[in-house]
Amino acid sequence: MTTVDGTAAPAAQAGAARPARPSRRAGAGASAARRRAAWAGWLFALPALVMYAVFELYPVFSAVQYSFYDWDGIGVASPAGVQNYVRVFTEPQLVASIAHSFVLILFFSILPVTLGLVVASITREIRSQFAGGVARTLMFLPQIIPGAASAIAWTWMYSPDGAVNQLLSALGLGAFTRTWLGDFTWALPAVGVIGTWLATGLCTLLLLAGIGKIDASIYEAAQIDGANRIQQFFAITLPGLRSEIGVCITITVIAALASFDVVFMSTQGGPGYSTTVPGVQVYQLAFTENRVGQSSALAVVLSVLVLAIILPLQRLFRER
Amino acid sequence: MSRHHSTRSIRSALVVGAVASAVALTACGAPGASSAPASTATGPATVSTGAPAAPVTITLYDGQGLKAVDDAIIAAFTKKYPNVTVKPTYDPDNVTTQNQPRQLAAAEPPDLIRVISVASGVKNNLLTNLDPYATAYGWDKLPASQLSQFRAENGVAGSGVLYAKPTGFTMTGLYYDKANAAKIGMTNPPASVEELTTLMGKAKSAGLVPMVVHNKEGGGAFPVQLLLNSMLGPDKVAAWVFNAPDATIDTPEAVKAAQQVADWNKAGYFPEGVNGLDANGADALFASGKAVFFPWGNWDAANLDKTMPGKVGFIPMPPATAGGQLGAMSDAATAFGIPSKAKNKDAAALFLDFLSSDEARQIVVDNGFMPSGTDDQAAPTIPAGSVKNDVVAAFKQVSAAGGQTPFVQNATAGISNQAWTPETQLLLGGKSDPQKYIANIQAKYASELGR
Repeated sequence: MTTVDGTAAPAAQAGAARPARPSRRAGAGASAARRRAAWAGWLFALPALVMYAVFELYPVFSAVQYSFYDWDGIGVASPAGVQNYVRVFTEPQLVASIAHSFVLILFFSILPVTLGLVVASITREIRSQFAGGVARTLMFLPQIIPGAASAIAWTWMYSPDGAVNQLLSALGLGAFTRTWLGDFTWALPAVGVIGTWLATGLCTLLLLAGIGKIDASIYEAAQIDGANRIQQFFAITLPGLRSEIGVCITITVIAALASFDVVFMSTQGGPGYSTTVPGVQVYQLAFTENRVGQSSALAVVLSVLVLAIILPLQRLFRER
Repeated sequence: MSRHHSTRSIRSALVVGAVASAVALTACGAPGASSAPASTATGPATVSTGAPAAPVTITLYDGQGLKAVDDAIIAAFTKKYPNVTVKPTYDPDNVTTQNQPRQLAAAEPPDLIRVISVASGVKNNLLTNLDPYATAYGWDKLPASQLSQFRAENGVAGSGVLYAKPTGFTMTGLYYDKANAAKIGMTNPPASVEELTTLMGKAKSAGLVPMVVHNKEGGGAFPVQLLLNSMLGPDKVAAWVFNAPDATIDTPEAVKAAQQVADWNKAGYFPEGVNGLDANGADALFASGKAVFFPWGNWDAANLDKTMPGKVGFIPMPPATAGGQLGAMSDAATAFGIPSKAKNKDAAALFLDFLSSDEARQIVVDNGFMPSGTDDQAAPTIPAGSVKNDVVAAFKQVSAAGGQTPFVQNATAGISNQAWTPETQLLLGGKSDPQKYIANIQAKYASELGR
């Protein structure tokens, strides 16, 4: 219900109770009032709508328009038909960048949500308020550090003499040390781990909030019935967190598919083309190569792709 | 509820649709400035030289890395011409490439701007033809090689109308650790690539890192081009960078240059994890005293004077064969141009003229760059023991041999990020071969230029 007007609300509520029948008070005058109220509602929404149109809709439409042109961002553009879109699907490097972003879903979404579930169910059992608070704060800490900053910190840790290799050597795993971000096989997983580190805190916090809403007596009942922790997790926690998991998955899948800061600051797509992602390509095409049309086409494809994946997920996780 | 809800949904959808189509309508028509400046082929009709009569403020745009040089030149310039105030703006170096075209196309551009690509600045008539100023100030007396890369004609750089003037020049070659070089028996600079390879073999046996190549940001293209300059020849390299029609590097000579670098890499002459090593890491490795050669440029000279005082020398990359063509990448530290829409062109040109004055030349050399100027001007002084002496000597040697080339990474806007860096990483990672390496870079070059 979008109305904020006092007169419309009761009428609408009455209507809600008896959908087929108009409310007793409702005559011609009341319906006019309701219409006026509806417009008043739009008036309230107007400032937000204007902002939305100027800063969201206009750029989106501009990008769609640019994607059909060859344009360097400065001179006069020449029409390019669907050529820019054809290239998105035929240039191997652009196709590869989309494939990489799907690999990142594993690291940005699936791992953090799994870890978040484990950590949240364990943290739930921490009886001490203080210890619980400390655990939550520590888990959430990565979330307040900007992605770009943590990418730089991780770049140091991944360097030949960095913390990761030092740790491996100290554990007697010296054979596994490598230049992580310079390795064709390991660069993409290494970048992914940065994302896992960033997203786990957020997922844990959301899932913890969700667990808090589950009635504690259900757990008690299960315990009395002899269910062990694992059974409790699958029978109570997991179904109870359905919508929270949906939120986590949605946010993190978007972060994976549209990733930019972490990749840009750590590898810029290298070594070779092994960590290119669409977000970085969009930036490079538009601002380094001055191919605004091609960049817009890739951005549009990326947006459609994100929607095509997110919308079914939303349906899947909707509360029944 | 459901009925009201659905009618409202329809109504809101209609409103949103109306707003959207209104927005879409306003966005119709080809994007791009219809107010692009008219052709500037002829340059300003009247120019005035010398100090302005009334106080004037000019703005300047450059990269952060050149702030020290620019600030010192500005201070000397405003001391000489108190009527002119210069207000500089500096962007981080890694975004100047992205921001410069937008600064240049702005409604109120700076009066002096760093020109990265003369060809693209000329394409949209965004740069002022400086020929009238060159005539008035006598810049024609400067050696032709100092200005040719800032000229353009028919969209191709290298000759024609002058669009920019440099503060000074960069110089590239091989730094070497004097103590380690002596240890492997290097008494004279290697006379050929073969001699260099032999020396690096000895360094490897002595447990040293023979050549500090760093390729996380694409520094591996440095040794490739240092060889390319000699093997392909400076003219062909320059023609390629200036986008001359039909220019190509897909030649046996270029493949040979790439092959040589790949062979060095395979022989273990480069640091371990070369694809993960960045410029800072390379500097640290070289300063640790465990390496011999370091292919890099003058911009590191001041730093090396501090970290390894008196311990470092500098030589040009040896020619492919003894007595062959010497070459080095050497282009402007900053080349300043004047945007077409700039307000204070005369004062800006006065600043450009000042760049080759004795005062400015000393400042440029103090900051580790090669000065711009004529041969009869007084030579700037360099403290004894500084590696800058070696760099300047190498620059003179290469200049005399006509071996100055622009950087291949500047051939097109995207070639560095989209070809040289990733392809060199593939080459040194053993995922590509020299033939494919050169062919892929040429293909990217051709596609970006629409050939």
